[in-house]
Amino acid sequence: MTQSAVSVRAVTQHFTVEGQSTVALDAIDLEIPPGQFVALVGPSGCGKSTLLSLVAGLRLPTGGTLLCNGEPIVGPVPQRIGMIFQEANLLPWLTALENVAFPLKLRGVPKRERLEAARAMLELTGLGNFADRLPHQLSGGMKQRVSIGRGLVQDPGVLLLDEPFAALDEQTRMVLGDEVLRIWARTGKTVMFVTHNLSEAVYLADRIIVFSARPGRIVDDVPVDLPRPRTFSMMSSERFGALKDRIWAHIRDADH
Amino acid sequence: MRYLEPLLVAVGVCGIFGLWEAMVAGGIINARIAPPPSTIAPMLVELLGRANVIRSLGVTLYEVAVAFLISVPVGFFIGFTLAEMPGLGAVFRPVVNFLFGVPKSIFLPIFILIFGVGIEQKIAFGVFTTVFVLILGGISAVESVPRELVTVARAYGANRLQVVREIYLPAMAPVLLESARLGMIFNITAVLLAEIYGARDGIGYRIAGWGESLQMPQLYAALAIVATLAIAVNELLQQLETRLGAWRQRPA
Amino acid sequence: MLRTPSQIRWAQAALAAVILAGWELLPRFGVIPKLFVPSLSEAIGALYEYRAEYLAHLPATLVEILVSYLLACGGGVTLGMLIASSPRARRMALPVLRSAYAVPMVVLYPVMMVWFGLGMGSKVAFATVFAFVPTLLTTVAGVASLSPHLLETARAFGASRWQRILYVQVPASLPTLIAALRLGGALVIVGVTVAEMLGAVEGLGFLITRHRTLLNSPGVYGGIILVLVITSGHEVLLRRLERRVEKFRES
Ligand SMILES: Nc1ncnc2c1ncn2[C@@H]1O[C@H](COP(=O)(O)OP(=O)(O)OP(=O)(O)O)[C@@H](O)[C@H]1O
Ligand SMILES: [Mg+2]
Repeated sequence: MTQSAVSVRAVTQHFTVEGQSTVALDAIDLEIPPGQFVALVGPSGCGKSTLLSLVAGLRLPTGGTLLCNGEPIVGPVPQRIGMIFQEANLLPWLTALENVAFPLKLRGVPKRERLEAARAMLELTGLGNFADRLPHQLSGGMKQRVSIGRGLVQDPGVLLLDEPFAALDEQTRMVLGDEVLRIWARTGKTVMFVTHNLSEAVYLADRIIVFSARPGRIVDDVPVDLPRPRTFSMMSSERFGALKDRIWAHIRDADH
Repeated sequence: MRYLEPLLVAVGVCGIFGLWEAMVAGGIINARIAPPPSTIAPMLVELLGRANVIRSLGVTLYEVAVAFLISVPVGFFIGFTLAEMPGLGAVFRPVVNFLFGVPKSIFLPIFILIFGVGIEQKIAFGVFTTVFVLILGGISAVESVPRELVTVARAYGANRLQVVREIYLPAMAPVLLESARLGMIFNITAVLLAEIYGARDGIGYRIAGWGESLQMPQLYAALAIVATLAIAVNELLQQLETRLGAWRQRPA
Repeated sequence: MLRTPSQIRWAQAALAAVILAGWELLPRFGVIPKLFVPSLSEAIGALYEYRAEYLAHLPATLVEILVSYLLACGGGVTLGMLIASSPRARRMALPVLRSAYAVPMVVLYPVMMVWFGLGMGSKVAFATVFAFVPTLLTTVAGVASLSPHLLETARAFGASRWQRILYVQVPASLPTLIAALRLGGALVIVGVTVAEMLGAVEGLGFLITRHRTLLNSPGVYGGIILVLVITSGHEVLLRRLERRVEKFRES
């Protein structure tokens, strides 16, 4: 058996706010092999973002362990794990290029070198001509492309995306989804992708993890057996619909 | 089109001076209490050539500068501390808000009782007036830093120092500069008020003297000098603020 | 330690108690010289001791405040609304007003004394000038930050300039107007007292300066407390007005 890219073992997360304790994640177990594209779905507040922030090393779990390539995660390791947020969260005083280069700057990479790497990333995400724009001069979709470039610039093995397209319109969402697939196919990264859009989950992923709400538990682990490359017409196939129905049943039940 | 509006403004300002001149010439305004611009302008040049006037200006600038250099670090430090320690901040908030709202000028007599009428008193009163603006500026600067950006930086491996340097400083810079500029306006007003109220030197002291002895051309010329300097300082800080805040999305 | 709202309220109460106790005790035991800060009880005592004097001078100050308030705030708000109703006038006025705001108006008081003498006229003129520009600036800037769609919609419906000002601009910018009054009113009160301190024959500011010259610091603090009562009263009134306006807008 090959080693998992990400291992989540009996991870529990409690939050205490003003004496009130919530169980955000309850004994989660999850093994993700290298190169797999995993979508995480579940009702709002079930702990998906919390799980990603744990994998990213932004916080330590109340209980259990997390591993990346077999090594414990005890803090952010941006060279191994890249994080992309729902809002692009670009630094508004930096240009698109400098934003992409930002993680390298934090690591002390010399200016010439990091800007060169960032330029290549912008080309990859299709923004080569907008390198010198400030974030407020970019559209929502373009900002999210910059943010993806920033997540990729250190060439991490694992990419975490927390509802990256939720703030975008349907068309942009489709285009960027294909873009992510293209990059993923080219680089073979391990991807954890949180979304509320079931079609998006089925369309993109190899495997879909379904969460229940409070306490957050895994209620289903759905392999997506659609062939690759995925095409637009598959979305109207019977298999596609059946997968969506299976997931929807869990989420609908969880809401009662 | 781009130049039309500034041009109109300039014409308007010149028009006011022209009208003033004409009204004095026509005997509508008494030249004794409001000498025309044609009398004031040469006096302005003359004043700028007098050693004692220049020295008084120097004294005032010194007081303004020292008060500002004390107020900025002290005010920002207190502001940052209150903002970064939410419990402490919540406790002191009402006190700071109250002191911010209190008119500072009426405390001026107390500063004479404590410090006399020398330079220290002007500086102390300037600091007293200015520091609250900067405390509030410091608090709102910290509060204006988007939490998400701190998370981003941490996710990409920033340490504490890097979070401060790469996120806090650039995000806060425009707000800090704006409050420094506001503080400077308060500071100049405070120092001049203190000089007019009781002093041994300074341009405010001269202005009060010229007013008492009805030397109107000197008085008006001095007002012009003070106004020009104040506007210039404000403009300088404004430019800096605009430059450092160019990334802020401004409503057109 | 300081987490819950009730803990914070306790700490605030404790802080207030410490400040008041410090004000009473530190001067009393000579830690702070009484000339600098007389103890709280002495300041309040002075207020009582010189009550006849303060009462005699209060009307002059209040009349000056009232008249300047009408001139500065009335004039500033009205002119501000007019300027703001035209985008071009607004664009031209804002930079001029911002620069004017930077000019330390205190230097005008000597001029006002030459023009209007030692009586009420110079106080009213100075306080009016002192408060006018900030009131005007707040009004214009406040209206400028309103959504332009509002006025454009009104224009599309064929409203005249006066209709636009009265039925759209004024109601939409009520909070701005109150902010302008709040700032302008506070500045009027400061302007009047400062003018009285600098040169006058009556009024609270005049009393404060006279007590200072006599090195009677309880008398100085008594006067200051009275001025603070006036500014706080103004603040409370405007807060009330603000709440009323908010309620009105919600309904
Ligand atoms: N920092 C925090 N402090 C306290 N409670 C938190 C914190 N972060 C998350 N929670 C709680 O943990 C639970 C899970 O939150 P999380 O943000 O992970 O949900 P989510 O699945 O990402 O929801 P959504 O789909 O709406 O983004 C929620 O009940 C939330 O209130
Ligand atoms: Mg979430």
